[in-house]
Amino acid sequence: MALLATILALRRDARILKLPPYLSALCIIVGVAWLLVLPLNEYSRNTYVSENALLPGQVHTYFTGSEHNIFRAYRHEVALLVDSSVEERTQKLGDLLRASNLKVATQNYEYHAAGRNISNKNVYAILQGPRADATEAVVLVAAWKNMDGEVNYSGVALVLALARYFKRWSLWSKDIIFLISGDSTSGPQAWVDAYHDQHDPRHVENLKIKSGALQGAVAVDYPAGPWGHRYDKLHIVYDGVNGQLPNLDLFNTAVSIASGQMGIGCTLQRMWKHDDSYQERLRTMLRGMLSQGLGHATGPHSAFIPYHVDAITLVTVGDGWHDEMSLGRTVESLFRSLNNLLEHLHQSFFFYLLLQANRFVSIGTYLPSAMLIAANFSITAIALWVQSGRPATPSANPIATEPSSSASKSEKNKGKEAEKSKDEKKPSMTVAEKDGAIALFPTKDLEITERALFLPLIFVLTTHFLGLLPLYVFNNTPEPYLAHTFLAVSNITSVLPLGAAYLLRQFKRPTAQEMTLIQCFSVLFLGMFLSALATLNFSLAFIIGILSCPLSFVRTSKNKILGTVMYAVLALLNPVMVIQAATWFFGHGVVEILVKAAEGWHVWGLWTQVVVWLVWWPAWFAGSVVVAGGLFA
Amino acid sequence: MPLDQQKALLFGSAAAVRLLLFTAFPSLPNRLAGRVEVSTPVTSFKRLQEGLFLYTHNVSPYDGGVYHQAPLLLPLFSLLPNPSYYPFATSVLFTMVDLLSALALAQIAESGQSVVTRLFKSSRKDLRWSSVAIAAGFLFNPFTVATCIARSTSALTNLFILTAMAKASQGASFTFVLALSFASYLAMHPLLLFPPLLVLLYDARASKTKSAPSPFLFSVVHTLGLAAAVCALLFVSALLTGSWDFLAATYGVRLLLPDLTPNVGLWWYFFTEMFDSFREFFLGVFWLHVASYMPGLTIRLRKQPLFVATTLTGIFAIFTPYPSIADATLYLSLVPLFRHLFPLMRYTFLASASILYASFLGPAFYHLWIYAGSGNANFFYAITLVWSLGLSIIVGDSLYAALRDELDVERPELRGEEVKRI
Repeated sequence: MALLATILALRRDARILKLPPYLSALCIIVGVAWLLVLPLNEYSRNTYVSENALLPGQVHTYFTGSEHNIFRAYRHEVALLVDSSVEERTQKLGDLLRASNLKVATQNYEYHAAGRNISNKNVYAILQGPRADATEAVVLVAAWKNMDGEVNYSGVALVLALARYFKRWSLWSKDIIFLISGDSTSGPQAWVDAYHDQHDPRHVENLKIKSGALQGAVAVDYPAGPWGHRYDKLHIVYDGVNGQLPNLDLFNTAVSIASGQMGIGCTLQRMWKHDDSYQERLRTMLRGMLSQGLGHATGPHSAFIPYHVDAITLVTVGDGWHDEMSLGRTVESLFRSLNNLLEHLHQSFFFYLLLQANRFVSIGTYLPSAMLIAANFSITAIALWVQSGRPATPSANPIATEPSSSASKSEKNKGKEAEKSKDEKKPSMTVAEKDGAIALFPTKDLEITERALFLPLIFVLTTHFLGLLPLYVFNNTPEPYLAHTFLAVSNITSVLPLGAAYLLRQFKRPTAQEMTLIQCFSVLFLGMFLSALATLNFSLAFIIGILSCPLSFVRTSKNKILGTVMYAVLALLNPVMVIQAATWFFGHGVVEILVKAAEGWHVWGLWTQVVVWLVWWPAWFAGSVVVAGGLFA
Repeated sequence: MPLDQQKALLFGSAAAVRLLLFTAFPSLPNRLAGRVEVSTPVTSFKRLQEGLFLYTHNVSPYDGGVYHQAPLLLPLFSLLPNPSYYPFATSVLFTMVDLLSALALAQIAESGQSVVTRLFKSSRKDLRWSSVAIAAGFLFNPFTVATCIARSTSALTNLFILTAMAKASQGASFTFVLALSFASYLAMHPLLLFPPLLVLLYDARASKTKSAPSPFLFSVVHTLGLAAAVCALLFVSALLTGSWDFLAATYGVRLLLPDLTPNVGLWWYFFTEMFDSFREFFLGVFWLHVASYMPGLTIRLRKQPLFVATTLTGIFAIFTPYPSIADATLYLSLVPLFRHLFPLMRYTFLASASILYASFLGPAFYHLWIYAGSGNANFFYAITLVWSLGLSIIVGDSLYAALRDELDVERPELRGEEVKRI
């Protein structure tokens, strides 16, 4: 009880109010440092296959010998189709699959995004597993064009060859679906949406034939032309839309088959050379986080993951000595492993950061870093809340026996001499008596300050609704106007806080307390959104948390120079500016990114922009208004 | 601004916000109606539509085993045009329900029964919020808006509970009995509110008239009145559906918990884990636990019956088998009536922070469990625990504050002293 009383007494100590910014800074520093130690051996683990049924690489693979001739024949057939129309192409691919005694169907799709028309056709075939009861299926995908827009000659040929080869085996206890999608992102999305009846029939055709629940999907991306190309490594792509990841077991199985059974090196996140040093591990992890944070589709597999179908893409990279048959055998072995599954992949991790092909960090280890960043905002919110409920000038040390002179000075500075006429030197005191002991308190410490909540709440809520505007505009502007729109939005958002602060000053002067409360609510919401987001998409929460951490430290300042500096810092961290800078840094065009984002919104169900415009931008705006308020004081 | 103008502005803007949300986002009502946090098996609008379909096709609405709500809702909603094609009428109905609830809440606030009752006058009675502010707190609570947009029938239950409270605090016997019988008929557990509200009604009546009526006669008459009203409602329901089967499908479901759809409460997880042989025993224990608060609180806080009723709505929001955010919103909008207790409460920030965090993390974890498949039921259950913890902190803390407030009046010399838990 005594301890509690001491703590309660400390609540009114001015020194306590100085603490939260340091505490916030500490949270951010520890959060970032936490992330930086993750690549060390002490904080990461070797991957392992958790699901016993998978038994990776335990079977002999037979996709060799004469199959190679068949594969080459298919590759020439595919090469002949390059210049033909979509209809002709799907017709021919369908015929090839039909010739292997499979049920074949096609699917048209047509999406509109950013004024563009994305239309193409999927063709797919179903192999009914001889031991299967059509309740489960696994999917083998090859997109006609890969993510870089190259024709996926060998990938498509490999799917055709494997379809023919798999048909001859009697051991399949799941159906196998061979999907040749029109492109790498929208095509698989249209197909998997329609497979689960979640599509809009106006844009996406229904599937004519279906099989059971999808248990897994593997996509191959091997754009070598008709004369082949020997590759060096397999690049395993695993990020799904909105940063959702496939079960780690699938990734581990692929790595252990490719590197263990076939002797093919595996790489990830475009780290072509990986010497397993700290720097390389860190770079891999950060690239993975960036990709996860952006949440865009990274390959044909991405569309499957939101439907809880674990999926990866195998991409061949580099010049080496591995040929198409070793890729085929890898896929064969992978399908034999998936064929063994007794239940959906669930044993291993769904949340992980990979450092290299066989080292990872699990959620329990990395989550605290994003949570600490989010906690920094909550701490600031608590501090601002406490500050808003205090008298304008707290006494420096309420537990001290002598009232400090600074307190009375500041009282005088505020022009309150009229109240203090009786005793100019000392602030008015209240006598309290308890258990025969008498104590003096400064009267103003006993006053309760009422908080004016209305204006701050309305302001913060309006700001959050205001974010709907750019969200709508960017998702629905046609491509030719996007560059101008972006310029306009960046200009408007840069000036808008100044305008809003000026207007607030003109109509109703928000008091210092209301300014504090605006910031308090805005930061409180930000902290809460980010901690909820960290459980869904850790990387996005971390990135936005880092980019908006100055919001914890800016305040309305009477000092014009300091205010201008703070406003300049915030203006640089304007989400629009950050997008501009990031696209410039990574060498992409802004328009290209915006078109992709609009496509993501309309086709893939991407919600990164929702987080940007409805969480990040409102927080930035409120913080900027608070700073700009000081400039007009 | 005069009071009436303020009220008109408030009600107008609240109605505008609701109708705007209904019309501007046509997919929002159905999306919210599918959320487990908003719609429970016993209040869901989707299930009501199912029951309505069976009813209009002359099949017993309870045959499908989906509809668990009161039979009298069916003729009411069958009067409205089909909400799948003409949703506007239903939107207007639910907007009206919310406005009437807010009106009843404003009446409770105006009666002043929260600070000054017949036997008790709080020493902080001047610390009050205006009735308009309290109604605004109800109307613009995001949980209320979500309940309204989801067209959950618990909005109706809330309306009748609030009306019963308003009428009891005004001393209007007949309408009180009628409103409470409707509330109990719709949701069963509001029946537990009868004793404290009867005390409230008695106090209100006694302070109005010079001579207090005989307590015994007063309670007998009202109990009989309530019994008659409920029996009449049940009888009409039986006439309407042609059999007494509805009893098992509505109150039976509420009592015996056959539908274990997740919700924000504490029961579903517990009973999914339970061995069948223990089910009856624990059902009994859980219900006994909910009911046991009523007599104790009513006796201990005899002088503040409105506070007892408010606390009981909080208990219902935590411990009943099918709670939703609608029950929480009822409690959270009644709490501001006791503004004078706020300075005595100690954990307001903790409680509000845990409720806010839970309301963001709940949907996130539900998504992880059901849609992403990367979480499991424990994620969501953990968050419902935090949610219930937040609510129970408010219940416990306000209870402490009310007792402390009483002590300050009874023993003024102890004012400001620290209390010790014995």
